[in-house]
Order: sequence, then structure tokens, then C-alpha cells
Amino acid sequence: MDWRWDFTFDVVLPKMWQAAGVTIWATVASFAFALVGGLILMLLKTNRSAWISRPATELIEFIRATPLLVQIFFLFFLLPEIGLTLPPLTTGILAIGIYNSALCAEVYRAGFQAVPKGQWEACTALNMSTYRTFRDVIIPQSLPPIVPALGNYLVAIFKETPLLSFVAVAEIMQVSKLIGAEYYRFTEAITIAGIFFLVMSLIAAFGIRLVENYVKRSILH
Amino acid sequence: MTHPMIQFDKVLKAYGALQVLKDLDFSVDNGEVVSIIGPSGSGKTTVLRVLMTLEGIQGGTMYVNGEPLNKMNVDGQLVDASKAHIRRIRSKIGMVFQSFNLFPHMTALDNCNESPIHTQGKSKAEATEESMRLLEMVGLAEKANHYPSQLSGGQQQRVAIARTLAMHPEILLFDEPTSALDPEMVGEVLEVIRDLAKSGDYTMLLVTHQMGFAREVSDRVCFFDGGKMVEQGKPDDLFGNPQHDRLKQFLSKVLEAG
Ligand SMILES: Nc1ncnc2c1ncn2[C@@H]1O[C@H](COP(=O)(O)OP(=O)(O)OP(=O)(O)O)[C@@H](O)[C@H]1O
Ligand SMILES: [Mg+2]
Repeated sequence: MDWRWDFTFDVVLPKMWQAAGVTIWATVASFAFALVGGLILMLLKTNRSAWISRPATELIEFIRATPLLVQIFFLFFLLPEIGLTLPPLTTGILAIGIYNSALCAEVYRAGFQAVPKGQWEACTALNMSTYRTFRDVIIPQSLPPIVPALGNYLVAIFKETPLLSFVAVAEIMQVSKLIGAEYYRFTEAITIAGIFFLVMSLIAAFGIRLVENYVKRSILH
Repeated sequence: MTHPMIQFDKVLKAYGALQVLKDLDFSVDNGEVVSIIGPSGSGKTTVLRVLMTLEGIQGGTMYVNGEPLNKMNVDGQLVDASKAHIRRIRSKIGMVFQSFNLFPHMTALDNCNESPIHTQGKSKAEATEESMRLLEMVGLAEKANHYPSQLSGGQQQRVAIARTLAMHPEILLFDEPTSALDPEMVGEVLEVIRDLAKSGDYTMLLVTHQMGFAREVSDRVCFFDGGKMVEQGKPDDLFGNPQHDRLKQFLSKVLEAG
């Protein structure tokens, strides 16, 4: 294999450095969007009124049933049509965020339902408000199953970000393709992109384990 | 005019086609201690659960100290109660569960403090003082900082009683409070309930399979069968001189079983 270190250090790494930042930012922003969006979708889906829960359920099914790449293209080409022109990166974050909101909604729902019925009933018997019931009793107890599942989605989102190269976001995959096209050398750039994903995934998995243990220790005694 | 503390007026509770409470009329006076006995599936637990609003009802009205619980008065008309109305009336009712239902991620003290601080707006210091007094009363002051998993079943149930008392209910509901306990822990919980019954501070409704205890602490015992109250009376009358055949059968079975 023909690997050139000077090319790696002089050309590839400086360009990839910034691209790595874009990838990380896209991951973190999409994940944050999905965390909040998922909670909202779950609350809508479990709403007592069928006028709210039915459309929410349909929306979740629709989002889950369509490939993410299609949704990225859809938003990328559709939003400008309705007069909303966003930078490609923002559109991409929106698309990945919405897609994963639908997945996270299910995680929340499963987590909340795993809290024993007796806990909900104790809250009613103690005349607690819905807000207090969730904040003080249900959410803390559903974190141990929810946290690892959400952590998996963080890693999944990270691995989904290369899809943004299809709409020319300068994330790490796009930049390595560009380097390859410009210098007719793909080996170094693609390899480094791969190593970057591997290392970051390992770091994320380790971080998630730490959070998981912390949650377990502080909630389950 | 004085009202009963609890009143069921033709309350109907059904799960699908299964009618669990059939037009139940039933009332309990202020300060009265009433035990509910009856065979499995007769609707005893359901009486407590609908009153605690853990289950909706399909017909009839429940009153607490003369005020409707599942209905409310709007311009002289009884309409379905709002959430706020239910919460206001429900604040008078406390319930102790068969399976304790303590919050596992909170200490005994925090379990007791939760409702006083967050639904009654007490300060932490004020709530803690009161909770400690109640934990002391059930004999668990030194366990205040223990988590439920670090307590025995009997201790957990006593914490659950303290937690219920901390919200200052006027009505206490007990659903077989000792049936999930090992035999050697039953006594310590019954002792607490006995003291509450004797204090006369609470209107109490107790579902139990312990006939001896029911006879000892109750002002009145009600026998339920098939979703209806079949017979009621002073403990000595009901146990000593049962009228209905079904009650006689039930009592002889229970006494056989020990
Ligand atoms: N969630 C439910 N769905 C359907 N049926 C129910 C439900 N809860 C209770 N039932 C039925 O209602 C009837 C009365 O139940 P309930 O729990 O009030 O009986 P109980 O007198 O407390 O019996 P036990 O002595 O076994 O506790 C039973 O036939 C039971 O199967
Ligand atoms: Mg029962």
C-alpha cells in the first residue's frame, strides 16, 4: 500500500481537523434535538386525547418507516420550496434530529412504562401533581433503562452523520472525498476518517458506561 | 346537618362486562373504623381504589365529608369533576398499599417529605420535623436515612404509614396492609394501625383477611360478596351471630383455614 506521511500531515490532517469538529457538532446538536423531541413526541403519543395521540403515533410510524437519507433530501429540497432556506448543516441536524426523535420517543415510553404501576398509584394517593410525579418519581426510576438505550442512539447518530455528505455538508466524510478528488489520493483521507469514527465511538461508549454507572449508583440503592 | 365522612351512592364499577361494584350504597361516619371482609374477588380492594381515584367509576357518586368527589357542583348542577376538584377532595384521603409502594430511590425521610413539601408547600425544615415525629411514632426514627431496600417488609410498611400520615389525611384506607409480610412482621404493623384506630383522629377503612384484628379494632364490620355489601354490623354481632348464609359459610371457611 502506498501511504505518504508528508501528505497525511501537510494536507489531510489540517483539513480533516475542522471537518471532525463539524461531525461532532452535528452529532451533539442532533442528539440534543432528539432527546427533547423524543420526549415531546412520547408525551403527545401517550396523551389521553385521541386527537393528539393518533396523529403523533402516525407521525412516529411515518418517520421510522422512511430511510434517513430520503428524509435528509426531502428537507434539503423541500424547505427552500416553502421559503425556508437554511444552511445545509442546519437542515442536516434537523433531519437527523427528527428521525431520532421518533426512535427516542419509543425509548422513553418503554422506560416510563417499566416503572411499576404501584409507583404511579402511590403518587396519586399522595395527591402529587403530574409534574411532580414525573420529575420526582417516574423519570428518576426510568433513567437506568433509558440512559444506555439513549447512549446507543448517540453512537448511532454519530455514525449517521456521513449521510450529510450527500447534501455537501463539510463533515469528515465529505472532506475526505474532496481531498481524494482533488489530489487523486483516497487512502490517507478515508483511513483517517475511519480511525476517527472508531476512536470517537470507543470514547463515546466509555463515556456512556460512566454515565450509566453513575445513574445506577445514585438511583438504585 | 352532619354528613358521613365517606358515602357511596349507587356506585357502579365495571371492567368491560364484569360488574365489580353493583350500585353500591355504603357510608362511613366521621372517626369511624370500618373493616371490609369477604371472599377473594368480592370487590373489597375495588372499593378503596375507586375512592382513592385510582380507578374511574361508571355510575353513581362518591362523597367525602358531604362534598362530591367524582362530581362537582356548577350552578347547582352535578357535573363531572375537574382535575383540580378531584385533587382538592383527594387531599383528605390517604392510602396504605398491600405492597407498600415506597419510592425506592428516596430515603424513608424523603418518602415522607415528598408530598408535604411539593404538594402542600411546606418548608423542608417544617416537613422534616413532622416526618421525623411520624417516623418516631412508627418506631423508625433511627432508620430515617435508610432506603427502602435496606428495610424489612414490616419496616417499609411502617414508613409507608408515616408517609401517608404526613399529608394529614382525614380518611385512611388500608388494603390488606400485612398480607405481603412475613408472619413475624405482621404484629409490628398491626400495632401501629391499632394505635391509629384507637386515637379516633381518623376515619378508617380497612380491608383485611385477619378476622381477629378486624373484630378487635373495628367499630363496624362489613361483609362483601359479589360486588355488594351483604351484611354489616358491630364486630361481635357480625362474627358472633351472622345472619346471611354466605357470611356463615365464609366465616366457617376462614376459621377452618385458621
Ligand atoms: N384491572 C382489572 N381488570 C379486570 N378485572 C379486574 C381488575 N381489577 C380487578 N378486577 C376484578 O374485579 C373483581 C374484584 O376485584 P378486587 O380486587 O376488588 O377483589 P378483592 O375483594 O379485593 O379480592 P382479594 O381478596 O383477592 O384481594 C375481581 O373479579 C377481579 O378479577
Ligand atoms: Mg384485594
